[in-house]
This record gives sequence, C-alpha cells and structure tokens, in this order.
Amino acid sequence: MYGGLHSPRTLPSEDALLLVARGFTPRVEARGPTLVLLDLHGLGRAWPTPQELGRALLDAAASRALETQAALAFTRTAVLVLARARPGLTIVPAGGEAEALAPLPLALLDLAPEREELLLRWGLRTIGDLQRLPPDGLAARFGPEGPRLRRFARGEDEGVLVPAPVPASFEMTLELDWPVEGLEPLAFLLGRVLEPLCARLIRRGRRAASLGLDLGLVDGSTHRRTLRPAAPSGEPRTWRTLVLLDLEAHPPQDAIQRITARAEPTPAREVQFSLLDPAMPSPERLAETMARLHGWTAEGRGGEVRLLDTHRPGAFAVGTFSPGPATPAPGGSPPLRVALRAYRPPRLARVVLEEGAPAFVAAPGVRGAVTACAGPWRSSGDWWDAVWSREEWDVALADGGLFRLFFDRLREAWFVEGELD
Amino acid sequence: MATTLSSLQARPATKAALEALLREKKLQAEAPPLRGEDRRHRRVPTGQGEIDGLLAGGFPRGHLSEVHGPVSSGRTGLVLALLARTTRTGSLAALVDPLDRFDPASAGAAGVALARLLWLRGPRGESEAPRPKALAEATAAVATLAGSGLFEIVVLDLAGVSDRERRRLPATTWVRLQRTVEETETALLLVADRHVAFGPGGVSLVFTRTGLRWSAPPGPGRLLTGLGARVSAGRHVLRSAEVAFAAFA
Repeated sequence: MYGGLHSPRTLPSEDALLLVARGFTPRVEARGPTLVLLDLHGLGRAWPTPQELGRALLDAAASRALETQAALAFTRTAVLVLARARPGLTIVPAGGEAEALAPLPLALLDLAPEREELLLRWGLRTIGDLQRLPPDGLAARFGPEGPRLRRFARGEDEGVLVPAPVPASFEMTLELDWPVEGLEPLAFLLGRVLEPLCARLIRRGRRAASLGLDLGLVDGSTHRRTLRPAAPSGEPRTWRTLVLLDLEAHPPQDAIQRITARAEPTPAREVQFSLLDPAMPSPERLAETMARLHGWTAEGRGGEVRLLDTHRPGAFAVGTFSPGPATPAPGGSPPLRVALRAYRPPRLARVVLEEGAPAFVAAPGVRGAVTACAGPWRSSGDWWDAVWSREEWDVALADGGLFRLFFDRLREAWFVEGELD
Repeated sequence: MATTLSSLQARPATKAALEALLREKKLQAEAPPLRGEDRRHRRVPTGQGEIDGLLAGGFPRGHLSEVHGPVSSGRTGLVLALLARTTRTGSLAALVDPLDRFDPASAGAAGVALARLLWLRGPRGESEAPRPKALAEATAAVATLAGSGLFEIVVLDLAGVSDRERRRLPATTWVRLQRTVEETETALLLVADRHVAFGPGGVSLVFTRTGLRWSAPPGPGRLLTGLGARVSAGRHVLRSAEVAFAAFA
C-alpha cells in the first residue's frame, strides 16, 4: 500500500513533510514541496488497518503543527491525485482506484497544458470522462501516449518509486561514564569518536574540510574548538593529532564529560598525478606539521613570506604556508649573490665622518674603523603616508666585516641595517 | 608490433632516441624528484659548479651538514643559492632563523621561490642575544621540520649566536637532530660563525674572506660589486675553491 501526504498551505520548511514521512518509512519520495509519497508496505504489524495508519499519519503531521490531508491506496498514481483532491483521510480499497478518481476534475492529472486544453475542447471535464474514452480511439489520435494517458486516468502505475536520499549526518557524540582530565586519556577516547566518523565520511566518498569539537565539561560549560586544516582529510590519525595539538594550545578549563565531533563534509580530493613533475607534499602531513609549529605560526613568526610592491626597504608580509602544485622554474641556477643579514630593528649607530664619508662606526655588536665604503645612495618614498628618506652606505670595517649603514634624514640619525654576507 | 627491450638493444639508434626523449622530458640526474623514488642517494646540489664539485654533487640527504665562516664571508649567499636551487625545482625548503636575520628581498634577488620556502623567525627584540629558550625552540622546530620528511632542505641559521648562548643547548642536541634526519630524505644544514657540528655522513664547508670588489676608486658613485671567498670542504683532506659573490649587477 502507498500513502500520500499533502499540505494545502505553505510549509515552514521544504522538508517538513519529508521529516513526518520518514517517521514511518525510509522509502519516501518528494513530489514538490507540499506533497510526499510513502511506500507503506510492511507496516501492518504496527497499524493493523489502513484507517489507523492514515490517522497516525495525520496525527504525526498535526503534532508538528502542519495542516495536511492524506490518501492511502494500492497505486501511487491514485494516491498522488487523491491526496491533493480530498481533505482529511481518503482510503481506497484494492481495485477501486478508477472509481475513486472518476469524479475528480481533469486538472488534477497535471497533464501538459496543450494536452489538457485539447481534452477540454473535446468536452471532457472529469477524470471519469477520460476513463470512458475508447482505448483504440485514443491510440489512433495520440499514438502510444493515448493508452498511457488512459492507464494514468484509471490510477494505474508506471515506473517505480524513487526514494529521496536520507541526508547524512557527520556528527558523533560520546558520553563518558567518568570525566577525563588530561590529554593522554582523551587521545584514546578521540579515536573512538573520530574513527567511525571518518569511516562514515569515506563510505560516502567524502572528506572533512573542518572539524568542530564540542567538549562538554563537568562544570556544565562547553569547550568549543573548530579545526580547519589546509587540506580536507578523512584520516582519523591526522585529525586526532590535529585535535590534540590544538587542545594542547587551548586546554579545557575542567574535566571532560562528553565529546561531540562534527565534520563538515566535502568531496574527496582527486589528484591527477604527474609522471614527470615533482610530487606534491602530502596535505595531511603538511597540516600536521604546521599544527605542530602552531607556537610559531600563531604569533605571525612563521609561514610563507611575500614581498610587498613598494620601494620601502625591508617591506614584506608573512602569511600562511600553503605551497601549491610545483611549477619548476625554467633556466639554470642564478649566480651567487651577496645577501643582507638584516638587524630588526636597525641598530642605532654613532658614525664619525671624514670628508663626508663614514670613517668610524660604533653600534651594538658592530664597531671599527671604516677601511672602504660606497655611497651615499639616497632613496625616499611614501610621502603620502609614512614618509621615509635615507642615505645608504656600504662600509667595510677593519675587522673584515661588511655592513650596510643608513642615515635617516628625517630622524637625523645613523643606523646599521645589517651585515652583507 | 610492440617494441621490446631486446629489439631496442638490437637497434642502438632507437635506444638512443628513447634516451634522448627521456632526457628531454627531464628524467636526468638533476631532474625534480619523482613520486616513490628513493632519493637518499641523490644529493641536494647548490647549483654552483665549484661548490658542488667540492661536495661531490651537493649536500647529503639524511645527514647534518654545516657551513661556517666569519661575517661577510658569503655563508648566507651560498645558503640562498641552495634555497633558490631547491625551490626552483619545485621542492620545499625551510629556514629556521632564531635571530630573525633573513632578508626576503635578498632571497628574492637570489632567485628563491618564496612561496615554497617556510620561514620560522625568532622573536623580535632590541637585544642582540636571542631570547632565553629561543634556541631550544628553534632546534625543536628543526626536529619537527626534518622529521616531517616534507622538506628537501632544512636550514638552521645560527650565525651571530654567541658560543655562550649555543652552549646553553643540551650537549645531545646535534646528535638528536642527526638521528631525526637520518631516516628521512631531508638534508639538514647549520649556518654558523664557527664549527658547531656535522653528522658522520655530513659535510663541513668553511668560508674564508679573500677580498672585496668595488666599482671605482673611493668617491661618489662608487658601488660594492662583490666579494670573494675561499671555500674549503672535506673531513680529512681539505679541498678548496675560490668563489665570487656579486653585489650589484
């Protein structure tokens, strides 16, 4: 037996009727936002008569504050038409579908507009009028569509029920008999939550893009953490390591009574490996390594460095380290170049000048007579914002060291910017 | 008809053509690493012919090596060349810099692909000496990076760190780092003012200043054009080479 549940009013949510129907059977097909079709086979033990089953359906909908009407019949076509046509509960005995549909208006069949208009021009008003047309005549005028139309009008089924997929939930909760304190016992318990959660994700071809962790504490509060690694993962070991590293940095304030892990599913990563290009780093291992370096990256002291588009010396930004696919640079190795080893901040220096050039330098860690120098090289910029203006000198000291000095023309002070090495 | 190995051997011209094709497709010794390849026998080259000649091809993987020399002897220039060579082939490199001396502009000029370089910098401070525990944190970070196996080369820059500061580290630090790295395909490199440590299979490169080059006699418009250094390598029999570093092209 099949059931149809229809709401003549606008529903609070699109899946409101689906939720009611899934309380009875998982084989549910949504036919638009206000109509669902239920496969009720095998429910005879719980509801011995169709009347009881139909009443239970209406009561379940009413308990969710939904105004509905229901129909139970042995064909899906009859159920879909009757559920929309008649208020309350309609039950059609086996074989009585055509008779039940006969008095209903033709519009309930949801035919194509041009077909319905043609039938109205023929003088047909009810489904019964269509049932009574001779099948040979319909076939002669409509072709194969004619007999199909007549079977449809008599409430006979074609095709199969296509159940709507049940939305997957990627959430696991573990209630603990005894509260746990410390990360070591928690590591084992996390495995019991994360392993089935990751297995469920993988079974559905998904990975977790992020993981929300709610730790219910003994004092009644909830310690919430959300982890979002550089790449999605379905590896419980990786997630456990990431969670433990995160909890090391952000420990809960009390013993843990309940663990809830919630994954945000995302399609599994598909990578076309190349034979000739370098292998990409494993995203899981990279995420794990970066989590272990959390102390550095959290303070902005670690990551990928990016040069800023400015002439201001020492302008750069440090961001998240997330190397993309390798693209080997063409050409050979660049030649050896002198590099600056920067002092941050530059060291204030005392410089003795002779004939306009530095002759002696004294700064913390740097002191000596200048044996050779090059300069001054003036530069300035950012006059519209934080203006800077300086004269640069490269100086060699008596001890053999080579340093870059600059005279800040705005502050009128000398600084050692760094070593040249 | 399928081409078999025996038919290739019988026709040397065909085999040569196949080898040429593979070479063209970068399957030569210096090619980027291939997936699943055991690369521990392949060294990490600096891309500088004289220095790679001293190192028998480059820095050994799975070992702790060191580069040391006085200020302005070219140590940092060589490290940037090594990082440039590594990152330009598509591999990853890491630099742990407890004194925060790394200059990204110099690295960019040296050809380092900055997107493939992980830089961990020490805390900023007015003092020249590193913050207490900064060196210990740096060596722990090096162990994490080396143990991950993600990086082709991991550099720990200790140049400018005084002997007193360095001796605060546990004596077993370098042995632990060598043990960490020896199961991986990573080359671990220390940069320092003087000898610190290198592993049983590692190399030690010693830099000595040989002179500076200027564009003109003293006066306005003069430029520093480069510096020269002598690089020595080897455990017992020292080999050396003269190298030049360009300052302004």
